[in-house]
Amino acid sequence: MKALLYKEIKLAMHPTTYLFMAIGAMLMIPSYPYYVAFVYTCLGIFFIFLTARENKDIFFTASLPVRKSDVVKSRIFTVAIIELLQLAIGIPFAIIGIRINPNAAGNTVGIEANMAFFGLVLIMYSLFNAIYLPLFYKTAVKVGIPLIFAGIAVMIYVVAVELAVQMIPFLKTHLDSTDPAMAIYQFPILIAGMLIFALSLWLTYRKSAANFEKVDL
Amino acid sequence: MEILSVQNLNKHYPKFDLKNVSFSLEPGYIMGFIGRNGAGKTTTIKSIMRLVHPDSGTVAVLGKDFAAEEFACKQQIGLVLGEVSYYPTKKISVIADVTRRFYLEWDANAFEGYLKRFDLDLDKTVKELSGGMRVKFALALALSHNARLLILDEPTTGLDPVSRDDLLELFQELIENSERSIFFSTQITSDLDKCADYITYIKKGEIIASTSKDDLVNSYKIVKGTRAQLTETLLPQLIGCKKNDFGFTALLRTDNLPFAAGLEIAPSDLESIMIHIEKE
Repeated sequence: MKALLYKEIKLAMHPTTYLFMAIGAMLMIPSYPYYVAFVYTCLGIFFIFLTARENKDIFFTASLPVRKSDVVKSRIFTVAIIELLQLAIGIPFAIIGIRINPNAAGNTVGIEANMAFFGLVLIMYSLFNAIYLPLFYKTAVKVGIPLIFAGIAVMIYVVAVELAVQMIPFLKTHLDSTDPAMAIYQFPILIAGMLIFALSLWLTYRKSAANFEKVDL
Repeated sequence: MEILSVQNLNKHYPKFDLKNVSFSLEPGYIMGFIGRNGAGKTTTIKSIMRLVHPDSGTVAVLGKDFAAEEFACKQQIGLVLGEVSYYPTKKISVIADVTRRFYLEWDANAFEGYLKRFDLDLDKTVKELSGGMRVKFALALALSHNARLLILDEPTTGLDPVSRDDLLELFQELIENSERSIFFSTQITSDLDKCADYITYIKKGEIIASTSKDDLVNSYKIVKGTRAQLTETLLPQLIGCKKNDFGFTALLRTDNLPFAAGLEIAPSDLESIMIHIEKE
């Protein structure tokens, strides 16, 4: 597994993925739909699959002494690391953003970059992973079609969650806020996001590995 | 113990079937795998390595069931599927550095030795190497982790005659202590005439022979004769009869030699066996 992760970083990782991870800095922008910063990472993950395909990565990896399921496991692990790293990179920028934000009304175009938001982003990643990865491992060749499906799902999710937070008064006052008093309402969403992320990652791996097992390389 | 045992591999594709592929290989031998383009050589190799999912059949390496102990089996195998074509823009030093971490018994000295022997420059990227050099790089990787079984798909294709000869010599060295075996597919049957102990011959997804090379070559003769000698009794015995203005050339089973009285008889080789059998 260590060797596979080393391979992912040395060979499969696309340079823009690192760049997109740094995009967590966008959480400093005053009044911005912050989900956008994290949607970029979905694109970064797509680039990894695209680069890997063009470089015949699966063929290389599968001919190494690894189980077919390990090929899937290492890639999914890489994806999760990228997603979590981006969130981690976003945290200090979110804190700085709230401190220096000149707009007293806070974020006027979407949810604040608070704990609830991070939880909701984790759920967004779960959704992306659960659609993109099993679909990709059905063919291990088609990288674009799964992106269309996963992309649509992510868009619908983001719009739905943003609408809910903005339209439902309770959610608006409790979730779209940087007031420390509201943290008690936001914290459970972060925890729920973490649990959903972990559980769905495991299920996504199971389904993806099962799909990949049937693929003839 | 058999180093490789393949039993009844079946794989169905819409336009091609691998049918009951069975053969085995003992330690200390070289087995050549021959057949036309599209006969199923690469599919067989991929099915052995589980890159392709066979519908049925078993593969065992050193007595271990491949499906159950995939990891242990793959550690024992040096695999070359043609030239290195992956990650063309990466330096081969990087690819080697990544690859070596996967093997418990990576032998850095052996790898160095092969780099020298094959004249490979680690600072070059894959795409800077010629086709032949890419094959050599793939071989250097496959040979450097104490594999007991080498499975090589077309390892000599793209190599110049000198390199090919050198490689065949290397194959002989590798099996000398009877610990290793080599299974390799090729279109260059003269390479097998030089070094193979056994031949497995696949035609349209079916193994039509898996036997010692000498037995295979000795079981056929090439016969030549004039048109007048091509009688009604002789014709059904001939395999892949090629006629021209002067007469005919065909393959004949050695058992059927009594039919060949008066004809010019010559020993066969793998190439002539293939050409005539595939003409049927």
